Amino acid sequence: MASSAPFQFAGDSDSDDDNFNPAPADNSDDENDAQATHRAAGKTNRRASSPVADNDQNDDDEEEERPSKSASKRPRDADEEDENGADEEEEEVDAGRNGYDEEDDEEEEEDDDDDDDVQHRHRRKRRKDHRAAFFDIEAEVEDEDEAEDEEKDGEEIEDFIDNAHPDDIAESGHLDDDRRHRELDRRREIEASMDAEKQAEILRARYGKRAPARGYGEMAVVPKRLLLPSVDDPGIWAVRCKEGKERDVVFSIMRRIEERSNTKDEVPITAAFERGGPNSVMKGYIYVEARRQNDIMIALDGVLDVYPRTKMILVELKDMPDLLRVTKTPNLEPGAWVRLKKPAKHAGDLAQVLDVTENGLEARVRFIPRLDYGVRDDTSSTDGKRKRPGMPGPRPPQRLFSEVEARKRHPRYIQGNPQTNTWTYMGDDFENGFQVKDIKIQQLEVKDVNPTLEEVTRFASGSEDGTENLDLKALAASLKDSNTNVAYVPGDVIEVYEGEQRGVVGKAVNVQGDIVTLRVTEGDLAGQTIEVPNKGLRKCFLAGDHVKVIGGSRFRDEVGMVVKIVDDRVTLLTDQTNTEITVFSKDLREASDIGGQGSIGQYSLLDLVQLDPTTVGCIVKVDRESMVVLDQNGDTKQVMPSQIANKLPKRRTAVAADRSGSEIRLDDVVREYGGQQRQGKIIHIHRSFIFLHSNATTENAGVFVTRAGNVSTIAAKGGRATNPNSGPDLSAMNPALKRNPAGNNNMQPPKTFGRDRALGHTVSIRRGGYKALVGIVKDTTDTHARVELHGKNKIVTVPKGDLIYKDKVTGKTIDIYSRSGRGGFGGGGRGGFGGSGDRSGGSRTPMGAGGGERTPAWGSSKSSARTPAWGRGETSGSRTPAWGDGSRTANPYEGSRTAYGDGNRTAYGGATSYGGGSRTPAWSSSAKTPAHDGFGHGSKTPAYGAGGSDPWGSKTPAYGGVSAPTPGDSGADSWGYTPGASGGSHAYDAPTPGAGLGAPTPAALNAPTPGAYSAPTPAAISAPTPGAWQGGWGADTAPTPAVGAPTPAASGGYYGAPTPAAYGGAPETPAASGEIRYADDD
Amino acid sequence: MFFLHNLERRVTLHPSYFGRNMHELVTTKLVKDVEGTCAGDYYIIAIMDTFDVSEGRILPGSGLAEFTVGYRAVVWRPFKGEVIDAITQTVNPHGFFAQAGPLRLFVSSHLMPDEIQYDASATPAQFTNNADIVIEQGTHVRVKIIGLRTEVGEMWAIGSINGDFLGYVAPNHALSRAALLIMLLLQLSAGVGSRQIAMALQLWAKT
Repeated sequence: MASSAPFQFAGDSDSDDDNFNPAPADNSDDENDAQATHRAAGKTNRRASSPVADNDQNDDDEEEERPSKSASKRPRDADEEDENGADEEEEEVDAGRNGYDEEDDEEEEEDDDDDDDVQHRHRRKRRKDHRAAFFDIEAEVEDEDEAEDEEKDGEEIEDFIDNAHPDDIAESGHLDDDRRHRELDRRREIEASMDAEKQAEILRARYGKRAPARGYGEMAVVPKRLLLPSVDDPGIWAVRCKEGKERDVVFSIMRRIEERSNTKDEVPITAAFERGGPNSVMKGYIYVEARRQNDIMIALDGVLDVYPRTKMILVELKDMPDLLRVTKTPNLEPGAWVRLKKPAKHAGDLAQVLDVTENGLEARVRFIPRLDYGVRDDTSSTDGKRKRPGMPGPRPPQRLFSEVEARKRHPRYIQGNPQTNTWTYMGDDFENGFQVKDIKIQQLEVKDVNPTLEEVTRFASGSEDGTENLDLKALAASLKDSNTNVAYVPGDVIEVYEGEQRGVVGKAVNVQGDIVTLRVTEGDLAGQTIEVPNKGLRKCFLAGDHVKVIGGSRFRDEVGMVVKIVDDRVTLLTDQTNTEITVFSKDLREASDIGGQGSIGQYSLLDLVQLDPTTVGCIVKVDRESMVVLDQNGDTKQVMPSQIANKLPKRRTAVAADRSGSEIRLDDVVREYGGQQRQGKIIHIHRSFIFLHSNATTENAGVFVTRAGNVSTIAAKGGRATNPNSGPDLSAMNPALKRNPAGNNNMQPPKTFGRDRALGHTVSIRRGGYKALVGIVKDTTDTHARVELHGKNKIVTVPKGDLIYKDKVTGKTIDIYSRSGRGGFGGGGRGGFGGSGDRSGGSRTPMGAGGGERTPAWGSSKSSARTPAWGRGETSGSRTPAWGDGSRTANPYEGSRTAYGDGNRTAYGGATSYGGGSRTPAWSSSAKTPAHDGFGHGSKTPAYGAGGSDPWGSKTPAYGGVSAPTPGDSGADSWGYTPGASGGSHAYDAPTPGAGLGAPTPAALNAPTPGAYSAPTPAAISAPTPGAWQGGWGADTAPTPAVGAPTPAASGGYYGAPTPAAYGGAPETPAASGEIRYADDD
Repeated sequence: MFFLHNLERRVTLHPSYFGRNMHELVTTKLVKDVEGTCAGDYYIIAIMDTFDVSEGRILPGSGLAEFTVGYRAVVWRPFKGEVIDAITQTVNPHGFFAQAGPLRLFVSSHLMPDEIQYDASATPAQFTNNADIVIEQGTHVRVKIIGLRTEVGEMWAIGSINGDFLGYVAPNHALSRAALLIMLLLQLSAGVGSRQIAMALQLWAKT
């Protein structure tokens, strides 16, 4: 019976060999006989055999013989193909049959025949018994059928060779036998020619699938649900074991299975596995598949680290597939960064993987130890109780291991080799200062490490020679691993690269969770809105897009333009440095802003910073946490913001000189003289170094440093050097108007020379610590005054601007400068002369009076501005002669004495009288005459008169002006009061006029002396007030002496005004008013 | 692309220039201020004329007079996708920088035909296909703008020479045409290398 034969055959691994054992001739003869006899019947029978039976048989065949089918058949296929031509014919008739199977069938049958011939008939019988219910009859038939086939084969061949008569069938058996020998030979040949690998494959095909695939063997795709475990399958139990030892347990089970296989106590389980792992929820269990729970007990009895006696959990049927779900375990490689979870002291610390053990369970890591070298030991032992292990108090800071420290307290516990710098201390290993330790991988945080640069640098700087050996690659890998989810925001252009909608490009309109809503912009779906899961999306950019790097890339915040796109890797040219970088498209977004990165805190690209007191540098690159600085020596170094002392503000006005001595400023374009002749724009000038920026190179962001003396100017900003006459700046003063100095010559305010008027004044301080205190100015500089305070015995220095000048008598606020501005002028010129004399004579008074005003006088000799005025024929033609006048001339220069001797004193005398008369009434009453007389006496008057110039006349009052102070001065003494205070004036009034009237000369003589000697200081102070007036009436008086001349009154009136104008410009009006008033008085 | 563009600008004038030729001065100042500048996404190349110079208005505080001036200017605006001629400025391994008038361009090596490679050993460094194309400092190139960036007072472009008729341009068109002709002739007659021909032509051009 054919159907049974293959079954048996399939179960018989020896079939191959048997197969080709030459069958004894007699057997085959038998068969052939049988075949011969039943040929026709067999055919019919077979055809008539019920389809059920047929199918059944078929299935049977499939099922049983499948594993051996290919192996047993293929090598012979070629042979059989031709041999079994007839079989095939026959099979074609049978529509219900699969040709292939059939062939197998036949083949098997044939083999079987051989088998049968050789061996156990009884077995066949037994099989038959098994299936007797179905195959009783058919079996017979089939047998015959088979025989018939066999016979047919033989027949065919016989036909082929010679169409033997049925009677010759016996002979044909011989033929058949020969054929098999040949076949065997051929087959061996083939096998010998096949290489081992193929043989192995054949063997695998032959035996590999034997157990499984029952029922589905022939199907190409087996639905997964059919593969799911059923109640008939062995159950899976979860057995507790020691955490972290899962794999070890499984390994030992495996060993045990190997050991006990083929012994009487075979391990009765079918499978064991573990799903441990650092983060697995299934850690602490192994899973064992067995028929009965007791089997597991037996199997695991005596295995270490597993506890089958604790409660085992039977895994539910539906949970079984989940147990075997594959999850990718993170791959640890040496150099990678991890974080420690244990020991607690180091929780969260960064560590670097040095090595991973073979079984992948432990990793050797190095990290920075946290040692206190026993400093806290004492405290823990005092209370007598054992401290709970763990973290007592604050954990020590991370510090590299120090042998010295360790030896201090624990010299016994340390041993090691100073050469290699490896130590063992308190049971821990230290290498190069780092602690090295084997740690279970589950105690390491492998994902989302995100080491900061700071942390990593501590590792890098730990190398012996101090060189930094940052493994940026590992760092980058660690950073990349951090699965920062790609965040899409509405507006992003997104491409779907995976899944059904692959190739779709659209703009995100909405993002919710990990579902992105896209409005498709291209292709057939354009305009539609689709929803796609986050996965399988990537951002889509085009060459030329302006993008900014976001996310975990180390190029974060770089901004640039896309130049190339390959899949999701985008190459862009950065704006800052013109270098190309490649990043993932998920780390990019369209840049709306320009510039982008380029600053950490207050430091930004191209800033000049101070690194240490002698070193400055220009920032040429800004990273996320550090920057690169090009220092003045041309070296670049990477620094942290904390290493920068401060930022040097850009000095717009900085100037340097190039090699030819021309000035160079910021933004000028210069070229190196020697060397590489680099050309660049000046961005910083620091002492003799200049930092230049050039577009020609991308190195150091195009910045280089050189010495100012080593460059030559190519183009100065704004064409300063190269094109000085490019045209006037129309938004500034027209230079053409500046060219004519005559126009505004007289407008220039006079400069103050000589003694500061503020000296001796009573002042109150306006602000600061001495606010509101009153004092006397003792000394001054241009800006500051030293004030002797009334309140305490102290001299303080106060800015002049903070002083309020007080009239020392009235306490009223006065303005010494503005008054003198006018009065000074009025009297200034003259006063100057006179004053100078006075001064030399020791009298400050005139000086004080002359203060500002004298300057012009001096100026006449010194300042050019003045000179023309004096020299001017037109303005003071008359004056010229005045100058010519011997006494005058002498005055400004060296003959001042003379002048003093005469004029000035006289003047003073006059002044005195004036001072007395400075009060208007005095004037009005006493008339100018005496004054003039005074002047006259002084012989100055004539001089003036001689000068005859109205301006002089106007000056004359200046004398008056000068003289006015005089009384003030004197007032400081005995005089001073009188003139200063209007009240007391009378007393003095009398004398003055008297002097003036009675005897000008003596008066003049008398007056000077006191005036000169007495209280010079107060003069300055008290003078102002009257001075102002003086100017006015001085003008009047001036003419008066000139009375002799025709001009007088009119001219006096007329010129009185101009004069001050000529001197001070501003005071014109008051002078005028003064003039008017006095004119009225007159 | 060049445009004739009507624009307006406020010009200030110092009081010291107030006088009869004020408008003239205003125009002068306008030209000085505006010509050759980058106004956002275009360059003002030249001012044709001014019209409509407003009355001056004195600015409080400074005394300057402000005029509103309308003017017509030739402006140049580079567009994405536009093809322009440029002169190579610097060559580096990543690509080369070129200048098209006021516009700086970068052509990345990714945006060149594959056969054009960087040759660092040449002096000066160059991009070449080891045949007729040599892009070095000073070479005329025809570039297609693929990206533009505008900053204050500056524009920046990324260009590509990856395309038909892009890339190396013979300095002189007539010359190139002649070169083509001669090259053809020469190639027909003898198999002379084109670079040699180019060199010969340059020599010829010099003489």
